Amino acid sequence: MQRQTVIGRGVRVVLLTLVGLFFLFPIFWVLLMSFQTNQDILRIPPSLVFTPTLENYGALISGRLESTAGVLEIRFMNNLMNSVILAVSSVALSLLLGIPAAYAFARFKFRLGEDIAFTLLSFRFAPPLLVLLPLALYFQQMGLIDTYIGLIWVYQLITLPLILWIVRGYFEDISEDIEHAYRLDGNGWFKTFTRIAIPLAKPGIAAATLLSFIFAWNNFVFALILASADKQPVTVGALAFVTASGIQYGQIAASIVLSVTPTLLLALYAQRYLVEGLSLGAVKG
Amino acid sequence: MATLTLDSVSKVYKAARGRPVTAVDAVDMRIADGEIIGLLGSSGCGKTSTLRMIAGFEDVTSGHIEVGGRVIDNLLPAERNIAMAFEGYALYPPLRVRDNIGFALLRDRQPRAEVKRQVEEIAELLEIVPALDRYPPTISAGQQQRTSLARALIRKADVFLLDEPMSQLEPQLRAVLRARLKDWLITRRMTTVFVTHDQTEAIALADRIAVMEEGVLQQFASPDELKERPANLFVASFIGEPPMNLFEARVDRSRSGLGLAVLDAGGARAFELRFDAEVAGLADGAAVHLGMRPHRLRLGDRAGAVQGTVTSHSWLGDQTHVGVEIGGTECIVVAEGEVPARLGAPIAVEVPLRAVHLFDADDGRALFHGSEAAS
Amino acid sequence: MSYLSLGKLKKRFKNEVVLDGASLDVERGETVVVFGPSGCGKTVLLRLIAGINEPDSGTVHIAGQEVTYLAPEHRDVGMAFQNFALYPHLSAFDNIASPLSARGVARGEIERRVHEVAGLLKIDHVLHHLPKALSNGQKQRTSLGRALAGNPGVLLLDDPLRNVDAKLRYEMRLELPRVLKAFETTVIYVTQDYKEAMALGDRVAVLMGGGFRQVDRPASIYKDPDGTDVARLFGDPTVNLVPGTIEGGTVTALGARFPLAVSLADGPCQIAIRPESITVTLDEATSAGATPVDLGIGEDTHAVPVELDAVTPLNVRAVMLLRTADGRELLATCSEDEASRLPRGHGRGHAHIRAADLLLFDPAGRRVRPGERQ
Repeated sequence: MQRQTVIGRGVRVVLLTLVGLFFLFPIFWVLLMSFQTNQDILRIPPSLVFTPTLENYGALISGRLESTAGVLEIRFMNNLMNSVILAVSSVALSLLLGIPAAYAFARFKFRLGEDIAFTLLSFRFAPPLLVLLPLALYFQQMGLIDTYIGLIWVYQLITLPLILWIVRGYFEDISEDIEHAYRLDGNGWFKTFTRIAIPLAKPGIAAATLLSFIFAWNNFVFALILASADKQPVTVGALAFVTASGIQYGQIAASIVLSVTPTLLLALYAQRYLVEGLSLGAVKG
Repeated sequence: MATLTLDSVSKVYKAARGRPVTAVDAVDMRIADGEIIGLLGSSGCGKTSTLRMIAGFEDVTSGHIEVGGRVIDNLLPAERNIAMAFEGYALYPPLRVRDNIGFALLRDRQPRAEVKRQVEEIAELLEIVPALDRYPPTISAGQQQRTSLARALIRKADVFLLDEPMSQLEPQLRAVLRARLKDWLITRRMTTVFVTHDQTEAIALADRIAVMEEGVLQQFASPDELKERPANLFVASFIGEPPMNLFEARVDRSRSGLGLAVLDAGGARAFELRFDAEVAGLADGAAVHLGMRPHRLRLGDRAGAVQGTVTSHSWLGDQTHVGVEIGGTECIVVAEGEVPARLGAPIAVEVPLRAVHLFDADDGRALFHGSEAAS
Repeated sequence: MSYLSLGKLKKRFKNEVVLDGASLDVERGETVVVFGPSGCGKTVLLRLIAGINEPDSGTVHIAGQEVTYLAPEHRDVGMAFQNFALYPHLSAFDNIASPLSARGVARGEIERRVHEVAGLLKIDHVLHHLPKALSNGQKQRTSLGRALAGNPGVLLLDDPLRNVDAKLRYEMRLELPRVLKAFETTVIYVTQDYKEAMALGDRVAVLMGGGFRQVDRPASIYKDPDGTDVARLFGDPTVNLVPGTIEGGTVTALGARFPLAVSLADGPCQIAIRPESITVTLDEATSAGATPVDLGIGEDTHAVPVELDAVTPLNVRAVMLLRTADGRELLATCSEDEASRLPRGHGRGHAHIRAADLLLFDPAGRRVRPGERQ
């Protein structure tokens, strides 16, 4: 009974294009900016016609920025490395802790279980700054300030609840009977966990990993306060482009492009896991 | 309470990509006033699409539907004067069961006392009296289904459409409710079309059954006719539980009468049957499918019986099902009452001509029915 | 002690008592079908035997050892689940091989055993498929194969035919006894289909109200049920229940008076009559020449005048809905051929009932047997 008129289809295409433009325009603009000199960027009115330059990227990679005001040392590559170390280690640690915890919350009903799970989630509700001030003091005393370990620990506030809650949902979706069957075949609970539960929750684990990686990668405020120049990630590092002699828009754009690239690639790679369905081979019941 | 005619009705769904799908392919049905019709087939055979076209929820791609001689193709569902019970029940959750059932009557401004009387009458028939003052979400699936059925049956409509009306029925109630429903439909001369995938239900309720497969009407006939003279192999294997015993066979006309050499899975000769009957048309050596209804076979050692071994035996109270291996082929015999048989013991099976059906080996079309030759 | 012994098992979930002192003894190699209405605790019972759940009280013994609180992997129990519960990421072969590889059986031996089981279940041609590529029937057989492959001491089958279509279910109903005999294993089979119960069980254990109401051979339960509730679970159509009165060696029901072969105390009672033991003659049919003797109606039968309301044919037999003079409904069955002579609408006739076919129960629904009545 649903016939699509030609007009209806046309309107839909126009609307979708508008929405697409709205969301993609900033990304497109940043990409253009990264190939422009600061002069081109600041020209009024802005122009789409310019001579592309790799100067911005060159400066980021070589670590030397020569501007009218003199030579500026930048540590972009170092920051990028920090981002990788921090995000990868935080997510790895969260997976190590979060997956077994998620399994426990999904499968075993224990006293206060729900409360504990909720408390963990509530870490995400608190404004980070509120936590940060006391934390900075503690870290100072414990000697954890400006260390990778300290940062990774704090990053757990971001990554662990995400992994816990997403993966828990996936574990709950696996038919318990599948695990019971594996137990009855003669396998202990740990083997059941590693051979049945984890492989079947793979799409969920992939999704949670990706999301928490993005959140960790994009974090700004924890690292801003708890890390000094040689431990800070790209998000904080970009601040260095705001110099006394002006804001280096070109470099900021280039560093955004470079720092977005890893997460983008990761997302594309993980996509096939994300769409893969669960509970294949079982009857709905 | 009117005739219903489907005149070469087709339904083609346009797919977003790929070829269009023909869900219903030129179905012709002439249904008399007061007749009960079952649309039978497995899922995706087009039976539900057919029902929805009659109800007006789907457009007819080509062909016409007439109710009482009036073409209704372009009428809205509400203008067709057709009552329908939905497979998903589609009850109104905020209304009590009582008001769900009486909804159409109350809407038509019928006196409350009269509606109450009618609702209670049909509730008693379908055993939902205790649920009358409850709300649909609080009653069992079986009760919801019966409520939905009652809501359709209480109406005064030209045609009644029931989509899987009894699939959720509790086993202890099934037989009696089927019988009561049939009685209700017959005494009120209600023209009814119901959809089911359960051939037992179709046989129990319907005057005639339309067997559908892949959108094509395979056979439209009475239950007896479907059992005794199935039009093709599909109908033969779909109707009946236990299903018809099927074998590959070769016609043997080397002597008088009809001979059949039954083959096993490897194509070797398993056993032979011979009947003293005048049969026309079957050529010597023709490859055929042989079908034998399990309850037309008999256990007994009269002349012409084939010898086999018991492979399974189950007594179900009023009937016994015996599995017999004959020369490498398996066949099921159903006997009334309790028949003793020991696994592995020899047993003789009589094959009356009446039990025999032959189908073309290539296209499955019926070639011969023993019941016709025997009578 | 029996091979599998359940002692007074109790289990409650939240506030609902599911099992309330269920006891059952199963001999080695025996197939016992646990049968009951839906929600009677059949699946819970299996889970207690398997060790998936633990009982609140009571014991489970397997092969003389108490296993009540033992982990599932140490019990020597195989189980096939209603929803198949196949490992979706493993091939049918690896699914079936799972209990063998868990025990560290050598690769060659695993190959041999899996192919043997698969051959018996006729799925050797799909062993390399993932579960999602299998048809429902093949999934069901794979799940059965996995449960059997380890050759467990106790095999638990949780309504394994529930999710396959009618034809496959029928096929398996005939095939299963042979497969189970080949493994000589002790089987607990759960179902809510009385036909499966009667076809598969050496004994049938009727589970109702938290405990076993009757445990016996199928024939004994069908012919001699302990209560009206048990009687109603068997047969399609189900048994007719009518009130009656016992008085001076006779029982009066449906307006007829039946002699009793045994002496029972006077008082009200309930009577169950199986539909297949009621023979129906229509007034026209009898006048058309058939005599009661032709229809197998003997001297000891009693005729009750009835109106025939509707005939609904089944596959082998047809069901007749009868109404007696006092408005009571009776279901009777007859053969397909007899049914084809019956009218489409109403008819008048008689229901012929033999005194010997009556099953007597007290007003509370308990079976009345000579010498048992309080």
